[in-house]
Order: sequence, then structure tokens, then C-alpha cells
Amino acid sequence: MIKSLFSIFRDSPNSFEGQEKDEEVILLLRRHPFTVLLSLTLFSLACFVPIVVGVVFWSYLSTHGWLNLYFFVSNVWLLSFWLAIFHSLTMYTLNTVIITNRRIIDSDQHGFFNRQIAELHSHRIQDISIHTNGLIETMLKFGDVTVQTAASEKQFTFHQIPRPDRVKDVIMQIARSRDSGVKTMVQ
Amino acid sequence: MLPLEIIFNILVAGIFLVYWGVAFIILYHLTRFGIGVQPKKFAAAFLFSSVVFSGVAIILFMNIDINLLIPQ
Repeated sequence: MIKSLFSIFRDSPNSFEGQEKDEEVILLLRRHPFTVLLSLTLFSLACFVPIVVGVVFWSYLSTHGWLNLYFFVSNVWLLSFWLAIFHSLTMYTLNTVIITNRRIIDSDQHGFFNRQIAELHSHRIQDISIHTNGLIETMLKFGDVTVQTAASEKQFTFHQIPRPDRVKDVIMQIARSRDSGVKTMVQ
Repeated sequence: MLPLEIIFNILVAGIFLVYWGVAFIILYHLTRFGIGVQPKKFAAAFLFSSVVFSGVAIILFMNIDINLLIPQ
């Protein structure tokens, strides 16, 4: 019972809303974790501000009997940055690219109530290019993947995706298998 | 009850309401729109930590004597 309850944190079929029958999720992509690391570091550093204030003003706070108030305000400060940290993590988590055996779905979450979803069917894929820009992207192996569609010069760009070369190969494999009728296998 | 104490209590209640309002929105988005295992892990960690931090905040709030802020 407990084992099956916790299995939702281990295994997932990566199912999504609007998934068609017999549609298989081949890749679920998110931006590289490095992209969210900067904001998380800043928020985490801000969490240490009450400690610094406490160290500097400890004697002043204790002589006035304001220690309880200080602890409470510090806790509220921590709560607000805890919200900010998880807001960043939520935005990072909800920005996804789903590659299935039939289509590519790009879901962009710009804010809590600002969401954009674009869809591209595999038979409309024309060509794919990858762009790795700068030292960090090269070292950490992430970059942009641009998919050119058959429609009037429409492009789909997935930003800061880890291992873009592998993603390009998988998308090409899907596009080819769609034409040949051979099932796509991803390792 | 002093007016300062009333204002302080209303302020704290407001902060808690805002916190849990935003926390609900975050949890809703993670569980409703999240795909895969990662959003579920984040939602569980966030819910657990929020309950703990809120509990600590309530205990700390109960220890506060707001009258100490008023100069004697």
C-alpha cells in the first residue's frame, strides 16, 4: 500500500493532457538545470540575511527583549524566499518539450497564468539544427534545438535543452520512422 | 486588546493567507500541469516544508509580546 503510494515519486509513464491513444512519450525535455541555478542561488543567499542581521544586532535585540519578534520576522522572511524558490522551480518544471512518436509539444510557462503550447506533427518536420553558444553551454552540453517545419517558414526553437545532439537524432529518427513505418526505439 | 496588537495580528493573518494562497497556486500547478516524476517530488517537498515552516511561524508568533515594541 505505502510502496504503491510512493511509486508516484519513482515511476511515471510521462502521460499528459490530450495524449492520444497509442501515443508514446519518447522524450520529456526540460531546460538544463543550470538555467534555474542562478535564481535559486540568489534566493538561497537571501535566506541567510536574517542570520547576518542576528549576528550583528544580537545584543541590541536581546537587551530590548525583541528576540522572539526577530525569530518570527526571520521565519516570515524565510517563508517568502521559500515561495520564491519554489516559484522558480515550478516555472522550470512546467517548461517542457514532449517528444512523442507522433508529434512534438512545446509547453512554455511564462507565469502562473500565462501558458503557451505549440504542437508540431512529425510528418511536418523538415530539418533540425542545434546551436550551442558559449563556454558554459559547451562545457555543460546544452543548447538550442530548432526544428524547421514544412509550413510557411515556421520554426520551433527549444531553448537550453540538455544534450541537443541526442535530441536532434531522436527527432530525425521519429521523422524517418514516420515515413518508413518503422517504430522508433530510444535508448 | 491594544490597537497595535490588533493591527499586528491582522497583518500576520494577512501574511499567512497570502502565503497559503500562493502555496496553493504552486501546488496546483505542479500537480495539475506537471509531467513526469519531478513535479510530484517538488510538490511533496514544498507541501511538507510549508507545513513545517508555518508550524514554526505559529509557535514563534505565539511567543511574541507586542507590548515590548511600545516605548515605556
